[in-house]
Amino acid sequence: MTPTVSASGLSLRYGGTRALDDVSLRLSTGVTGLLGPNGAGKTTLLRVLATAVPADRGAFTVLGHDPGTSRGRQELRRNLGYLPQTPGFHPDFTAFEFVDYVAILKEHTDRAARHREVRRVLDEAGLGDVRGRRIRKLSGGMRQRVALAAALVGDPAFLVLDEPTVGLDPEQRMRFRELIARAGEGRTVLLSTHQTEDVAMLCHRVVVLAEGTVRFDGTPAELTARAADRVWSSAERDPGAKAGWRTGLGTFRNVGDPPAGADLLEPTLEDGYLLTLDGADTEVTA
Amino acid sequence: MTNGTTGWHVPEADLRAYARAELEPPLLWSADTHLTACAHCRAVLAEAAGPAALDAGWDRLDAELDAPRPGLLESLLLRCGVADHTARLLAATPALRRSWLGAVTAVLLLTAAVTVAHGATGTPTLFLALAPLLPLAGVALSYGPALDPTYEMAVVAPMHGFRLLMIRTVVVLAAGLGLNGLATLALPGYGLRALAWLLPALALTASALALTARLGPVRAPSLVGGGWIALLLSADAARAGDDPLAPFTAAGQGVSAAVALLAAGLLVRLRDRFDLSRGDTA
Repeated sequence: MTPTVSASGLSLRYGGTRALDDVSLRLSTGVTGLLGPNGAGKTTLLRVLATAVPADRGAFTVLGHDPGTSRGRQELRRNLGYLPQTPGFHPDFTAFEFVDYVAILKEHTDRAARHREVRRVLDEAGLGDVRGRRIRKLSGGMRQRVALAAALVGDPAFLVLDEPTVGLDPEQRMRFRELIARAGEGRTVLLSTHQTEDVAMLCHRVVVLAEGTVRFDGTPAELTARAADRVWSSAERDPGAKAGWRTGLGTFRNVGDPPAGADLLEPTLEDGYLLTLDGADTEVTA
Repeated sequence: MTNGTTGWHVPEADLRAYARAELEPPLLWSADTHLTACAHCRAVLAEAAGPAALDAGWDRLDAELDAPRPGLLESLLLRCGVADHTARLLAATPALRRSWLGAVTAVLLLTAAVTVAHGATGTPTLFLALAPLLPLAGVALSYGPALDPTYEMAVVAPMHGFRLLMIRTVVVLAAGLGLNGLATLALPGYGLRALAWLLPALALTASALALTARLGPVRAPSLVGGGWIALLLSADAARAGDDPLAPFTAAGQGVSAAVALLAAGLLVRLRDRFDLSRGDTA
């Protein structure tokens, strides 16, 4: 299958900070999760792939369009939907007005067709009943859905979502996952998130980024398998564990190199993620 | 046509045409308004139209009700023949909000009042020094993440960043220069000398935009504004007696015109840089 997105050797520095270092990946139809700690370079990578900032080195294409040229960048953006980490809204806009504004930026100049498209994406995002409500009067979850609706204008083939579920309560997060899952049908979605549950529930593939480099690129099952036989339970905190915390049952869940005879537990995606980050000095204790 | 509240109703022939989407304005607008208030006509429409046509009609009505209502500025732009999508873009420009325009107006009135109070002798230096900075500030505030909450989304949109910048700049500059011009009318005693802010305003704005491509939307206008003030202070130190400051002499005006042209040319050459974020928001 020809990948939708093909990136090779992407590198970017911000002053003295190496935000991305030789990142290569290929994305195809479906939802790919991008996991990583704060400062890993997730937002930077998304901004590069969304053509918001150019990489210092490396190249990528989206649907064969090269953003290195003005025409290529424009064609790429016509197939792109982008939800930034902190989407901004004009304070006086209603949900309809905001999505209409973004639709104009996406070159939908015919008023009737544009309004049909705006209503379509608002309905798709479950916001049909609040089209005329001012965004400042919407809940955080609804605002995120407005931003997602704006990203869906034009039915883009490539959707870039930067931590769309952050700050949402569990119910809102579940609703948003439904939207993302639907959006991923027949479309390439790159979803950046801190939440391993988002990846476990939505993604057919996951990329782990840390300190600007790719630490893992595979399926969620493969990431989970990294923690096979490396998660165990103990009555007390195990000082030899790379990460350990008291569970609600009162026992300790440990991740790392188990001692002989340890009571092994079924690993989760989060365990595999923690072990993958182990080389990035992210020891977790609780 | 009759009105539901006083015994009027839309003729059945018009309702059939409405159901077929064949009713033309202004009858169409009247029918739209009447149907929202008249259950009787809605019932007649339901009989006249098939379910699909009726749904399409309600969809169209919903669409009209959802459509954003243009504000004062947007309506004015539409009346001037600006395309509706362009007017919509401009309505979201931070420096075209009433709060900003009100603040600019207040500053200009205050400055003009102080100048008038000093009497119409020589040149209105305070006014001429301040007036070019206001359009510069307005244009600077129209671009970049500082006051445009949708900056990130605009950067990755297919519309070329330079085009959006120019659309906003032209209108913001026109508004700024217009307000300056009106304030100038409060200084009739100075004659044409009171217009000596115009070319420096264009020079400052064009220079700031050209430098924005390299320095970003905050540093560039700050540098240009600071440079203007420094220039005026040094010109004040260098002048003899009550002579006009160098930028407001004929030679100074010529320099301003040349700078404006050169900066505009440079801006066009650098236009592709406005199609990308400078990464200032990273």
